[in-house]
Amino acid sequence: MEAKNSVRREFIFPPYLLLLFPAVVFMLLMYAYPFIASFTRSLIDAEGNFSFANYAKTWELYLKDILFTFAVTVFSTAATGVMAVLLAVYLRFSQSFISKILSGLYKVPIFIPFVVVAQMMNSFLAPHGLLNIALAKFGLINIDQPLQLFNFTGLSFGFIWKMIPFSVLIIHGGFQMIDDSYIEAARTAGARLFKVITKILIPMSKSSIMVALVLVYSQIVGTFTLPYMLIGGKSPTTITVDIAHRVNYFRDFGVANTLGVFSYFLVLFTAIYYLRSSVRKMAEDKLVQE
Amino acid sequence: MFSKKMLIVSLEIILLVVVFLLIIWPMMSLFIWSIAETWYWPNTLPQKIGFEYWKQALGLQKSLAIGAVSIVPAFFLSLMIAMIVVVISMLIAIPAGYALAKYRIPFGGFILFLFLMPNAFPQQPVFVNLLHIFTKLGLAGTVQGVILVHILVGLVFGVWITNATFKSIPPHMEEAARSVGAGKLRAFFRITLPLAAPGLLASAVFVFITSLDEFTGTFFVGLPFVNTLPMTLYSSSGYNMQFASVIAIILLIPSILFMALIQGVLKAEYVGGMG
Repeated sequence: MEAKNSVRREFIFPPYLLLLFPAVVFMLLMYAYPFIASFTRSLIDAEGNFSFANYAKTWELYLKDILFTFAVTVFSTAATGVMAVLLAVYLRFSQSFISKILSGLYKVPIFIPFVVVAQMMNSFLAPHGLLNIALAKFGLINIDQPLQLFNFTGLSFGFIWKMIPFSVLIIHGGFQMIDDSYIEAARTAGARLFKVITKILIPMSKSSIMVALVLVYSQIVGTFTLPYMLIGGKSPTTITVDIAHRVNYFRDFGVANTLGVFSYFLVLFTAIYYLRSSVRKMAEDKLVQE
Repeated sequence: MFSKKMLIVSLEIILLVVVFLLIIWPMMSLFIWSIAETWYWPNTLPQKIGFEYWKQALGLQKSLAIGAVSIVPAFFLSLMIAMIVVVISMLIAIPAGYALAKYRIPFGGFILFLFLMPNAFPQQPVFVNLLHIFTKLGLAGTVQGVILVHILVGLVFGVWITNATFKSIPPHMEEAARSVGAGKLRAFFRITLPLAAPGLLASAVFVFITSLDEFTGTFFVGLPFVNTLPMTLYSSSGYNMQFASVIAIILLIPSILFMALIQGVLKAEYVGGMG
């Protein structure tokens, strides 16, 4: 009787299976399957045979756009990183009234959805848009030759505008974790502010800075709205816009998926970093909890 | 010493003005366009301002102008989709978030991976293949298809936020309830759920906003038949700046409002997924 019971207990359906079942099944069908399909479909040509034809075509037609996407992403991420660190340093050290206003103000773009940012930039950066009108008003440009910003520059401006606040939020969070005593000790030992920033603040919050950069980078590669509404079909444009064109105008899922695979490769290293650090962090949380 | 302080204060004021202009100026562009009835280039400001386009967009006034559409149907469609998405996403996300927080799960690493992947890789290729699959299933261009895609986008955030919420509740609370004889379900519904309520609410609001603003998935799976607010914004932005600006402002309001209310509860990484 005793033995039978214990055997039976092993067959009890663990409750977490039931709890996780709907979410995991949904993710497998709606995410994992289409994700893997990007790879398999990129290897099937128009006649339904296995081939690298899509890759040859993509390379020939879209190499320029792939490089453009990469360039915009790297530039925007780097610019975002530098400015976000500077702003976070300021917010970490200044206790003034102005810094309190700024610490509320800077967060606004985080909450603005990308589709609204896209429309905003579309009207703001237009040849006859508010930016050009104001620059002309101050005599900085000739109104008959407005700045053309529906290109690399405008796209980067839009990305940086949207991404700096979010990066500051993460990086400032990292800076806040550093105890004042470290900084004071360094200052009393004679370290200048610049030294404190480069030798203490930045090295000690390396992981938050990395997470911010990695998330900004991978989000920019995958963003469709902003380049679609700012640059659209003009050349050069981003991979995401090309994918939409391939699907909408040609119903060409082969090349669209090949472009998708290229965009996966663009984020390969950041994705690995993000996945590894997230899983590690969660394992640590679990240990702390138990 | 005094002059150094003055220098710092003036530098701070310059910084404040620059940041203020950089953030507010593009937003002003939306606002001015939304009330510009006549605006001929190269005038600095519109010649005629008024709420004509707002009235037309909100269906208060009929118009024959090109691109003049009432956004009321799109607004209610978006609202309906968002509400259905919140209910279904939360029904799926709460149990999953709870299980991931409270149990030691075999293949737990794989499951975590599955929910992290959408943050790490571009989602657009997934939407492209969902279009392919949905076309075969007859779900392409339907509201049901769009709802499924919005659930996909919302579920990931839903699971992470509910998971973080349940993790923050000390396990001994539930154990105490069970030690005085409460059943597992009773302990959950009487102790854990009320404690988790603020976090779960934040998560639900987040999923709601994500659905309201969702563009890329709806673009692939829903067009041309499912015209949510962001889709209407896109289709009018080409030829009617005023309508596009009105819709953009309408989309802006709930995001800023709700997110300002719950930002304290949210972790920076989740907020990053906005839009």
